[in-house]
Amino acid sequence: MARVLSVLGTLLRGLVQCACIVMLTFLLCRVMPGDVVDVLGLEGGLTAEQQAQMRHDLGLDQPLAVQFGDWVTHAVAGDFGRSIRFDRPVMDMLATAVPVTLRLTVLSFAFGLTLALVLALAATARPSRLFDVLIDGVNIWSIAVPTFCAGVIAILVFSIWLGWLPVIGGLLAPVLIIGLDNAGQIVKQLREELKEAVTLPHVRTARAKGLSPWRVSVFHVMPATMGVVLALSGLVLGSLVAGSLTMEVLFALPGLGSLTLNAIHGRDYPVILAAVTLISVSLVLINTTMDVLHRLVDPRLA
Amino acid sequence: MTHPVLELHDLDIAIAGRRIVLDLSFAIDKGETLALIGESGSGKSMTALAIMGLLPPNAQLGARSRLLLDGVPLRPDDETAMRALRGRRMSMVFQDPMSCLSPFMTVGGQIAEAIDRAGAADRTSRRERLIELIELVELPDPPSIVRRFPHELSGGQQQRAMLAMALAAEPRLLIADEPTSALDATVQAEILALLKRLQARIGNAMLFITHDLAAAADLAQQLVVMRAGEAVEQGAAGAVLAHPKHDYTRRLVSTRSILRAAPAPAAVTRGQPAVEVSQLAYDYPVRRLFARPWRALDGVSLRIGAGETLGILGESGSGKSTLAKLVSGLLRPTSGEISLFGAPIAHARTIDRDLRRRCQIIFQNPYGALNPRLTIESAMREPLELLRLSGSGSAEKIERALADVNLGPEYLHRYPHQLSGGQRQRVCIARALLSEPELLICDEIVSALDATVQMQVLLMLKELQATRGFAMMFVGHDIEIVRWISDRIAVMHRGRIVEQGDAAAILTAPREPYTRKLIAAMLPPLPDVTITDATQVA
Repeated sequence: MARVLSVLGTLLRGLVQCACIVMLTFLLCRVMPGDVVDVLGLEGGLTAEQQAQMRHDLGLDQPLAVQFGDWVTHAVAGDFGRSIRFDRPVMDMLATAVPVTLRLTVLSFAFGLTLALVLALAATARPSRLFDVLIDGVNIWSIAVPTFCAGVIAILVFSIWLGWLPVIGGLLAPVLIIGLDNAGQIVKQLREELKEAVTLPHVRTARAKGLSPWRVSVFHVMPATMGVVLALSGLVLGSLVAGSLTMEVLFALPGLGSLTLNAIHGRDYPVILAAVTLISVSLVLINTTMDVLHRLVDPRLA
Repeated sequence: MTHPVLELHDLDIAIAGRRIVLDLSFAIDKGETLALIGESGSGKSMTALAIMGLLPPNAQLGARSRLLLDGVPLRPDDETAMRALRGRRMSMVFQDPMSCLSPFMTVGGQIAEAIDRAGAADRTSRRERLIELIELVELPDPPSIVRRFPHELSGGQQQRAMLAMALAAEPRLLIADEPTSALDATVQAEILALLKRLQARIGNAMLFITHDLAAAADLAQQLVVMRAGEAVEQGAAGAVLAHPKHDYTRRLVSTRSILRAAPAPAAVTRGQPAVEVSQLAYDYPVRRLFARPWRALDGVSLRIGAGETLGILGESGSGKSTLAKLVSGLLRPTSGEISLFGAPIAHARTIDRDLRRRCQIIFQNPYGALNPRLTIESAMREPLELLRLSGSGSAEKIERALADVNLGPEYLHRYPHQLSGGQRQRVCIARALLSEPELLICDEIVSALDATVQMQVLLMLKELQATRGFAMMFVGHDIEIVRWISDRIAVMHRGRIVEQGDAAAILTAPREPYTRKLIAAMLPPLPDVTITDATQVA
């Protein structure tokens, strides 16, 4: 019961965060100089009267609070309105963009986490210079080389020099680059954590019981490192959702990142708001999931 | 031909070239207990780990060392061979059961792991064995214990679960490494009695490692006294205790007998009391919404006369340290009154400097109480400066204070890490006495020290009190130590004072059931020994 309550509490806190983010985004969209009508007006040469009419039709002449209230009532019902620029339901646009981003994020994270786990576990089981150098290498790479730089280099090397297509539009290169970056953020701390975990008293007890090395590491050492793995995974996943923006633009992937960027350029409020809402809700979901998982692994927290 | 269960010949362990254990030899027969006694760092735990094959990777066994289990040589560096024996032929319980049980697995799950090691079993017979083992170590309500996690058990229950795990395979040899040191006195007595009963039932040989002479005498037929890696004395328990030959063993034994012969209480002086506390309550604040605050102290009233020593006796969680902090003004009470030398401090916003000077506190852990970056001299100069007592005479004052605790001027420029635990605690005492306080609050000040060092510090403190006449509030959990130093004793239990009175009266004629329980948990006295000369200890 206490466990259920504490999970609900975490969720509630997340929802409040979401609401704040959405409200802030709404405000920021409006304080940007120039609105969608200005942009369309410049492109299409509308008269001042036509522009005023358009603002009225779109409800942009209403007070901000009323506009926000309108938006929320529709959003809760799953209606994010229509894109002003493309005149398509925002829902449809999201439906095509989200799967692309989801595939990119899940694949890169899975690759990164696996790489980090394999390296850290190998270095703990068989301490050697080679693994230490590899771990340091991956770690320094992720600190020193921004993903967009690595992305540009990848395009240069693979598609221009080597002529391997399709790098643009394909998932392989971005997944490798983002995954490597993720692994670098996790691997070093995981290695330190494991080094510490094998000396814990309860691990010594497990060895004194004569358990096999495999059983000791899976059931006694690994749980002790899960706190750090989950916390880092949460951070990395969060930055992935936000960071997919640059990768998608660079590799021309029609995902949520590209959609958001285009929408910001075009002052396409409904799309910006919907995208930001989606991203913030997914961040909250990621954090809550990590929290719940941590509570499941470590019964002392519940 | 029958072999002893365990034989050690010339055991020699070195870590990074430093020899930790030197030429240790002993043998334990079936059903017999051998106690390995020694202070921290004497090499006793390393000996246990060597037998189990769990030495740290940088440790090396000497070439001549031979270990035999049932007459068969052990190879402690062959992990596969040793693993086959661990959890089947021999097993081990450790000092701190809280951290030695996995926090991530239910108690039942952890015992089941040990049962699987003992031999393949199907689900139902494993479950039966699990319940049987939990009943064997006398834990209540086995079906519910199985489902619980270690943090949901008390310290004593955790150690019982550890024992159930260790005994799953009915091992030939059980190694118990300080199994009761982390537990309260009453729980300690229960666990020791349980160890005896289990041994009678299973017939295992037991290697019992301890720093507590009384516990060793209670349990073991053979004693090995270790000091700095060497066995300084060994033999049948009765003989060693009755006629200790080595100087170190003599000091250990005499420490106990000095404690038994408590000095007469000081004559209580009249006049203004040093401390007066009435109806004191303290709630620890809660971190969660809607949770009720934890009441650590409730309705505590006491009074310490000038020059008098009041002992506060209690187990962990009884609120005794909270009381010490409240009286020294480090915490503000939820309700009630405290006055120091007639001045109320319970609700005062600040405590004035003169009052601070007259009341000083010393803490349990001398490692934490000294700043590692300050030399002893600067650490001692600090309170003088804070209390505006520093002047041209400070240097001599500090030197004299150190001399009072038997430390020479050569210690002035050393850093805390260059001192032993006992020396550090003496520095803390010297520092507290610099301002010539009239009240000294001692919060478990000897608990972290080895037995012989404890006695040195206590004797010194008593002597200083005799010359300076300060009042003391001595907080402790060891009934003998508290009785030895105190004129009067207040027994605390769950945040309340359950009994208060003359030290001798409380121990000879306790009125409250809880006090009786505490006294019953005291280990039986050692056989009469002729040495009672205090100078041998100090």
